[in-house]
Amino acid sequence: MGKVILEVRELTTKYVTRFREDVYAVDHVSLKVEEGKSLGIAGESGCGKSTLALSLMGYYFPPLHYISGDIIIDGKNISGMKPDDVRKSILGREIAYIPQAAMNALNPTQKVIHFIEDVVQAHDPTKSKKDIYEMARALFESVGLPASVLQKYPVELSGGMKQRTVIAVAVILGPKVLIADEPSSALDVTSQKMVIKMLRDLMESGFIKAMIFITHELPLLYNVTDDIMVMYAGQIVEKGTAREAVFDPLHPYAKGLMGSIIVPEEGLRSAKLTAIPGVPPNLKKPPAGCRFADRCKYVRPECRVTSIAMREVGEGRMYRCVMSEKELREAYQNG
Amino acid sequence: MKGYWKYFLNKLGWFAITFVFAFVLNFILPRLMPGDPVAAIVSRLAQGMSNATGVQAIYQQYADLFGTNRPMHEQFFIYVRNVFRGDFGFSFSQYPRPVAEVLGASIWWTIALQFPAILVGWIIGNTLGALAAYLKGGFDKVLMPVSIFVSNFPPFGMAVILLAIFGVTLKWFPIAGGYGFDLIPSFSWNFFWSVFIHYQLPFWSIVLIAIGGQAIGMRSMAIYELNADYVKFSRFMGIKDQKIIGYVFRNAMLPQITGLALSIGTMVGGALVAEIVFSYPGLGYTLMNGVMGQDYPLISAATLIITIMVLTANFIIEILYGIIDPRIKAAQSEQ
Amino acid sequence: MKHTLRQVFRSGKFLFGFSIFVSLVLIVLIYPLLVPDDPLRILGQGTFFPPGIYVNTYDSINTSTKYTLNLPNADVRRLESKLSQEDRLAMREWLIAAGIAESEIDIENTSSLLALWNSNYDPKKSIPGMTNARRNYFIRLNNSLKGLTMAGDLVVASKNAESGGLEDLGVVKDTDYVNISEVANVRLLLLGTDNFGRDMLTELVTATRVSLQIGFVAGLIATLIGLTLGLLAGYVGGIVDDIIMFFTNLFTVIPSFVLLILISYSLGQEQRGAFTVATVIGFTSWVWTTRAVRAQVVSLRNRDHVNLSKLSGHSIAHIIIHDILPYIASYVVMALILQISSGILAEAGLSILGLGPKTTEVPTLGLIMRWAMIYQAHIQGNWWAYLPVLVTIALITFSMNLMNTGLDQVFNPALRD
Repeated sequence: MGKVILEVRELTTKYVTRFREDVYAVDHVSLKVEEGKSLGIAGESGCGKSTLALSLMGYYFPPLHYISGDIIIDGKNISGMKPDDVRKSILGREIAYIPQAAMNALNPTQKVIHFIEDVVQAHDPTKSKKDIYEMARALFESVGLPASVLQKYPVELSGGMKQRTVIAVAVILGPKVLIADEPSSALDVTSQKMVIKMLRDLMESGFIKAMIFITHELPLLYNVTDDIMVMYAGQIVEKGTAREAVFDPLHPYAKGLMGSIIVPEEGLRSAKLTAIPGVPPNLKKPPAGCRFADRCKYVRPECRVTSIAMREVGEGRMYRCVMSEKELREAYQNG
Repeated sequence: MKGYWKYFLNKLGWFAITFVFAFVLNFILPRLMPGDPVAAIVSRLAQGMSNATGVQAIYQQYADLFGTNRPMHEQFFIYVRNVFRGDFGFSFSQYPRPVAEVLGASIWWTIALQFPAILVGWIIGNTLGALAAYLKGGFDKVLMPVSIFVSNFPPFGMAVILLAIFGVTLKWFPIAGGYGFDLIPSFSWNFFWSVFIHYQLPFWSIVLIAIGGQAIGMRSMAIYELNADYVKFSRFMGIKDQKIIGYVFRNAMLPQITGLALSIGTMVGGALVAEIVFSYPGLGYTLMNGVMGQDYPLISAATLIITIMVLTANFIIEILYGIIDPRIKAAQSEQ
Repeated sequence: MKHTLRQVFRSGKFLFGFSIFVSLVLIVLIYPLLVPDDPLRILGQGTFFPPGIYVNTYDSINTSTKYTLNLPNADVRRLESKLSQEDRLAMREWLIAAGIAESEIDIENTSSLLALWNSNYDPKKSIPGMTNARRNYFIRLNNSLKGLTMAGDLVVASKNAESGGLEDLGVVKDTDYVNISEVANVRLLLLGTDNFGRDMLTELVTATRVSLQIGFVAGLIATLIGLTLGLLAGYVGGIVDDIIMFFTNLFTVIPSFVLLILISYSLGQEQRGAFTVATVIGFTSWVWTTRAVRAQVVSLRNRDHVNLSKLSGHSIAHIIIHDILPYIASYVVMALILQISSGILAEAGLSILGLGPKTTEVPTLGLIMRWAMIYQAHIQGNWWAYLPVLVTIALITFSMNLMNTGLDQVFNPALRD
């Protein structure tokens, strides 16, 4: 087992809507990512995976609020730190974030290099513009982007180019952890491939030590990440290796989710395309028992009584259900 | 710089086309209507006005000058020639003063009143709108309904109210004219002071109207920008909030400049009516006197000049915009 | 559809604007049923009678029953109403000149002022620097004050047709009262009269109706033109789009009010009915709707459901009606609302310039404003002649804008704050 780079314990955050209602979008989430590994997070839209990505940064601004839990990066707990210290010494340096839509992730009226200058100087005001330029040029060339990009405005770049530029900017300060929220979903297939390759290269060269990759596209997740977590209604419901989570899901929701997507992978092509009926529960008033109970085919009376704990069934393999592994397998067998 | 030239020439071409088109409309619209200029003159003759010889003289002069008995296209070329000489004929209502002289005096009053007022209103309105978007809460809750109400108030209404409160009731400012009735224009302290205090009410009534609309526009632009992805990305790269606010307001302000270019025509129209309320010796008041005196040459020339003023203002704003917004240059040189 | 409507009516802004607007419309519809007068009838001889209840003097004297009431301070009140602010200031001026300390003089307290005046005023006393005319003014003022304080009975007499002499009919004492419900002719003029002597309130209500109609006709014309051109430009595209956009861009920069002025003036006063003015406004304000509709249609043109409809061989008309219009309906409604309110403003502006509808046919908000301006109501402090008009215009445009903002928030959730 490698060194743990990112560890999250019982992280809980909430959204406050404009009607002053609390929405618990991340509810006691724990996870670990070891050096050189990548973790994928899957789930329907609205399951809290994007909020989890924002919450992992340890830097909160309205409407998102921190409630409890720890985020430990390379042995350092950032949850107790002052926001301004997090901003200066953690963001970009220890952990970096790639937003969903790269189209608008760069300030449209600023040349790329000027934004990089702002980023670097926010952490180290003494750094000269010349040094920053040299640093940026070296980085851009190493990830296969022409240095001329630095002198351009975002409008002058194509979609794929823009997304790769955003990634390059995100890692400019050499962060240990990279959190990528659907980095390729808005792109065409060719650009998508280039973005994924860039992320993989960054991992393989050891430039970044750990990555969390969020997407609703399971095939992508399976191909890119080592481990996969499935989220439902703000909670983790299944955790395992990519192979386990995709080919042998235990939680009924994970089972349904995997069934609902055609994976271009042998053995899965025959899997039936099934949508899960119903909608996720309202997180303003989450149900007392299992949050998936209303949509679950195998629901039992005890599901609705108290909250369900995670069950561990092997090295890093967990799921959240009242049924035992054996019961579940039997139930799936019988359809 | 090449990109900017392309943009400049494009705008210049548009300016020329609109100019020609407006010119033709100004010539042809009155002539298409049942009451054409000659008919207007004849009806004046028939009314047996006190200065019958004057009207007779104008009729003769007008027929010679504009060749009203000749075919339309010849008339048009005569009209073009006359206008470029600055010859608009004699005024009916202020015979024997030539129209050029009557308008020559009022143009400067209008320019000196309206353009500073619109500019100041634009600046204050945008500042307030930006503050409302940023501060939110109480400031926003008070400012926005007031702005919506003010911007829906007819421009002349604002003028009348200011006049009734500050001119008639409180007697702080004079209620009519561009300077005291007892003064003769001269380079004296007395005269300038008189002009200054006569300037206040018309000026602020135009400013107030402009503020409302601009504040609303700026607020929604700024809110839109504050939610943009680049704000989130910049924050997570550790850039300070003050700097991000700087990006946001610069980006929100740019569309407001184009907005000003598009709405300047409407604003000038409203301000012209406000002039009438204060009997301010500008184009609006002259135009109303022209209408009351059925002074066709005066009206025709005034509308032409107003159009040219608006087109020019519009052109200047577009040109400045091209310099300020880097995307314009970038987009132009791309093609 | 039902769901959308429910959502719209849940928006606070829309609801607020909608209720103001509906109240205005209700007033406009119900008032004429209660007061069926001709709004243009000239009631008063003279300009700008202030708001109030007008009681016929002739009928008051001729009422059958007279009541005697001994009300305290009736004298003082009578005096107070007669003594103008100007007179009070003049009295103070004289008293100060005569050596009375300014602190002793309270011009608001009528009885103390009068007492001071009566004990000090001396017509023979000459005050240095006072002109003869001014001195005579004070003598006149003093005499009229005497006349007021020595209120005697008034004799009502009528002329004998034969002898030409006067015959006493009765005596009116200063303690005589009539009950207003017994007076035959009483007229409430809630907003006084305008410069022509018309009942301002009745005129205002009719004017609001006419202005709303003008706004509606203008808005409808502008929206129809804008919708047609926008659909053509956006859906057909190509050269049609180029031509339409060329003209749209032209008329975006050429100020529409200049065209309005030119057309309205050329039409001539006689040709300008309310409907004509509305039409002219409509024909000069389609530009924004065209732009908005075109932008929407362009974004819809290649959506799947439209393509599907094309592949199914539906006609252009069918596609536009079934696959495009429902999607842009909300924008068109919003544009229409804005057009109506700007049409009302355009009419008002034109009328103030003297290019509005004919004065003799129907009142409009702009025309009332125009005549109030010409007769300088705003300078003479006759607020009832212009303020209610301004408030009405502001309420109309404000309510429409609120409805528009409300709709916008429902249909463009991205802009929700």
